[in-house]
Amino acid sequence: MELKKAKAKVKGSAMLSLLLLMTTVTACTNSDNGNASTNASNSPSATTSTEGSPAASTNSVPNGPEGKYDPPIEVTTVRSLNQAAELAPGDTYDENIWTKTFESDLGIKVKNTWKVNAEQYQNKIAVTMASGDMPDFMNVDAQQFQILVQAGTIADLTDVYAKYASDLTKSSFEGSNSLRLKAATIDGKIMGIPADGGEAADTQLIYIRKDWLNNLGLQPPKTMDDVINIAMAFTKNDPDKNGKNDTYGLSLDNNLFNGWSGLDGFFNGYHAYPFNPTKGTGTSLNFIKGADGKAQWADVQPEVKTALGKLADLFKQGAIYPEFSVIDGNKSAELVTSGKVGMTFGAFWVPTWPINNMYKDVPGADWGIYPLVSSDDQPALSQSMGGLPSHYFVVSKKSKHPEAPFLLLNTYIEKIYGHFDKNYHTVTVDGKDYGEFGLAPINGGLPGNNPRAAAAVQAAKKSGDTSALNDEQKNYYDQVAKFEAGDATMWAANKLWAEGGVFSLLGQYVDNKQVFTSTYVGNPTPTMIAKGPSLRDEEVKMMTSIIMGSKPLDYFDEWAANWLASGGQSILDEVNASGMVQ
Amino acid sequence: MSRRNWRLELPLHLMLVPGIIVVLLFSYGPMVGIVIAFENFIPVKGIFRSEWVGLDHFRYIYNLSETRGVLRNTVFIAFMKIIGGLFAPLVTALLLNEIRKKFYKRSVQTIIYMPHFMSWVIMAGILIDVLSPTSGIVNQVLGWLGFDKVFFLGNDKWFPYVLAITDVLKEFGFGTVVYLAAITAVNPSLYEAAVLDGANRWKQTLHVTIPAIIPITILLTTLALGNVLNAGFDQVFNLYNPSVYSTGDILDTYVYRIGLASAQYGVATAVGLFKSVISLVLISLSYFLAYRFANYRIF
Repeated sequence: MELKKAKAKVKGSAMLSLLLLMTTVTACTNSDNGNASTNASNSPSATTSTEGSPAASTNSVPNGPEGKYDPPIEVTTVRSLNQAAELAPGDTYDENIWTKTFESDLGIKVKNTWKVNAEQYQNKIAVTMASGDMPDFMNVDAQQFQILVQAGTIADLTDVYAKYASDLTKSSFEGSNSLRLKAATIDGKIMGIPADGGEAADTQLIYIRKDWLNNLGLQPPKTMDDVINIAMAFTKNDPDKNGKNDTYGLSLDNNLFNGWSGLDGFFNGYHAYPFNPTKGTGTSLNFIKGADGKAQWADVQPEVKTALGKLADLFKQGAIYPEFSVIDGNKSAELVTSGKVGMTFGAFWVPTWPINNMYKDVPGADWGIYPLVSSDDQPALSQSMGGLPSHYFVVSKKSKHPEAPFLLLNTYIEKIYGHFDKNYHTVTVDGKDYGEFGLAPINGGLPGNNPRAAAAVQAAKKSGDTSALNDEQKNYYDQVAKFEAGDATMWAANKLWAEGGVFSLLGQYVDNKQVFTSTYVGNPTPTMIAKGPSLRDEEVKMMTSIIMGSKPLDYFDEWAANWLASGGQSILDEVNASGMVQ
Repeated sequence: MSRRNWRLELPLHLMLVPGIIVVLLFSYGPMVGIVIAFENFIPVKGIFRSEWVGLDHFRYIYNLSETRGVLRNTVFIAFMKIIGGLFAPLVTALLLNEIRKKFYKRSVQTIIYMPHFMSWVIMAGILIDVLSPTSGIVNQVLGWLGFDKVFFLGNDKWFPYVLAITDVLKEFGFGTVVYLAAITAVNPSLYEAAVLDGANRWKQTLHVTIPAIIPITILLTTLALGNVLNAGFDQVFNLYNPSVYSTGDILDTYVYRIGLASAQYGVATAVGLFKSVISLVLISLSYFLAYRFANYRIF
């Protein structure tokens, strides 16, 4: 009896849940259909209301790069919030100097449909793409850009680019060999607005503790052998003079390719150009042109093996932190700032993080910055992935005003690069600086701006004449002057803009044609997207275990053969068939 | 009579409704997404309009050279965790049960229970320091005892055992509480009878306590068996690194790296589906075994 009742109850609730299940399923499909229809009906009605109602007043729409919408229009976008950046009092991502200017000067009201933390932005974009409810324009990464192009949900911007982009905006697309424009052009149509790319801002430099060099009576490196000797001396000869054997020569962590503690620059010294970050997508790869004119993958070249052999030797001799494979960039930064490591390869921003406070906080500590050196008589080329944009702004096909993002971009570039207006870059409230440029809903840049600014600052320093500097450059000039007057907090700024600073060196790379960029300029191929991640893991494992000595150096050849067999060959075929090999 | 029953039970059924809705929405609803495993899923096109590829993703995973190794790691690590997670709390509970000082017993219970509430992000940060070969306390102790230093988190021979041991250390306190609760539920008259029959504490444990908690032991083990392919994403993800991929990489971390982090949703879902099917088989099997040998029934 008891059991029977229980059974009946189970049956009843099962029926109930089945019923509920069915209703939710139908509700689901209903809402799906409903969405599509409301979307279709919604967007035109919304725009008719903005266009239609004040028809009596003075109607104006921009008919070129300049002009103003009257009545004003509304354009939607989505934002990723930088949690680390403090906003100036009164500023929000919804309302700031940029949105106010856009509204008053252009008659464009930018509305943020949603805002999330930077870490969640990619996921949220994926959901947005899936829901089909795209804002008028949004920032996506290179892979999402590909997906959107394939799906055909973003607008062809070829005509609006020609008509509405200002000359300055066009020069940001077409500077340095039109790399940005080419990357954004798919099948002859401009499908997106590149947010970056076209400049070699990610080339690497050698950072060495100058005080350690002096302690040991060593000279800055001229060759890769010098680099290795310095690393060994830093390891064995007690460079910090504390009487303990507690220092390492070369900084490294589990992200083998990185702007901080990466090995990119080390490999470059041996004319090897591998690139496949441990935490990357496995799809941004370097290719070189082989003797037969066809593209070859840079990572399987014999030069990579040579450099790996040197690294394995450094590790064996104790010049690399023995636990590098378990620590991340924060931890390796900690080792460096606590005075345990004396040399690292890194990008231009290393003086601003993590070594920015060492000059001020650690007595005697100072860092020298040197260009990459070569292992032989050929100059070292510093590799750059910056040629290809990593992010694009895309415009929804449903957008009524696909030209609006270009008008916003024209204003942005004018305020930051054309006639620099400091208020749009940084404001100072109560002696504290707050960045304003990050609040703009759209951005872009002129390739090569920073090296130009550094050169201008240094020229002004020599001549003493600051009249040729624009506001941005004057700002840097003042920072360098403050450092020279003894303000230790301006150390990083000094390293960026002063003579021999990072931007001078970066500019030298470009001027001397010492920049390596991949011979393949297309976007990720299908096989790269499908197999890139697992191939990346294999490569990271191979490099880590060879450096740590758990696999012999010759394992490199086995891995390279394996790469070809498990997808590498089809990647090469796709790359060579793409017509995007330069 | 049945109508009266219905009226009496109606509030109970109504109370069930929110729970059922949540289960339907969040457990059954997403099952529709399983079709992603069979298509070349492109987020913009949506679940129902993406291109159909049949079993391609499964074939792709099967042909990947790492898959078998990853599967082996997953089962091995999960199995060690299940065994450790069975015996460590059981023994601790039996020992704690013998302690008469209430304050001492409670303190121990609380202290070993605590790590359960710590996230693996924090635990991993602590473990990386504690297990470091250059500065970690474990290796310093090993050094005093005359052993060689061990790179626990960078050595692929040690890594799976480190995973199992640290997981047991973190979770055994929680298991202990469950077993202690089961022990308190034992009818005291059984112990009285045993004492009358001349049983000492050891015999009481052997013949009263252990038989009494066997059902709950079997229940917990049965439930754990369904997790054979869940070797603990949080833990592995926060502790592993490329040099221990060969023995430490489990299905979840593997899928995360090659699937989700690279927007390969079809592949990720295919592995997820595969995992679910295996888990379903295993849990059915273990339930059948529990029913057969311990007369344990859920329904």
